[in-house]
Amino acid sequence: MVSVDITCDLMDEDESGYVWTFLREARDPSLIVPGAIVIAGDSDASAVAEVVDIVEKPAGPVVHLRVLPGAIEDYEALVRRAITPA
Amino acid sequence: MSEPLAREELRPLLRDERPPSDAVVVVRGGPSSVERLREHARRTHDAYVLDGQPLWGVSVFCALDDVGTASIDTLLRRFASYRVVHLPTVGQLVAARFDLLPSFRRPHFTVRLEDDGDPSLTRLLDALGPPEANPYHGRQRQGRS
Repeated sequence: MVSVDITCDLMDEDESGYVWTFLREARDPSLIVPGAIVIAGDSDASAVAEVVDIVEKPAGPVVHLRVLPGAIEDYEALVRRAITPA
Repeated sequence: MSEPLAREELRPLLRDERPPSDAVVVVRGGPSSVERLREHARRTHDAYVLDGQPLWGVSVFCALDDVGTASIDTLLRRFASYRVVHLPTVGQLVAARFDLLPSFRRPHFTVRLEDDGDPSLTRLLDALGPPEANPYHGRQRQGRS
């Protein structure tokens, strides 16, 4: 089970070409800043994503996310390799 | 008189293009459920209106081309995060009385629902059809191309 940092529909793309969701969907909004690497999605489908920007919209702040390639497990394996002494 | 909704108007963000043919395959990440679809439809509702009226909708991508960014192969790869996908045709969604709004960038569409009630969402869930395995899910981990 993955805990997502910000809930979204990974298919919700807007005119920016990025995935969008409301900032209020974040578990900890202080983590959601441009350039941050986060887990986005929901319990059915989640992905590693970069926060592109946060824009003011009529209904509230909207976060744009660039979904990074690969699965979360790929990043987990990468970090494990990186921190394991050779 | 009610106050205008504090939401963005979707109309200027719709593409001016011919509707896709009935045979076009639609990609929707799954697995879907009434509750999951309701959550997504409400997010659209909270962000947008259409012609000033409330809008409930769910994002899908249509495989409009045989090759390139709007091909079925590219879309399945693009949405590799989804273990399963629903792959109805445009015809199946239209037959279930859903409009496909050509929203934002090609080949994104918004399936428009009349509301977020169980009957509408159940009808959409039925129209989406059964989930199918996404052949690209987990490929990198398995070392396949």
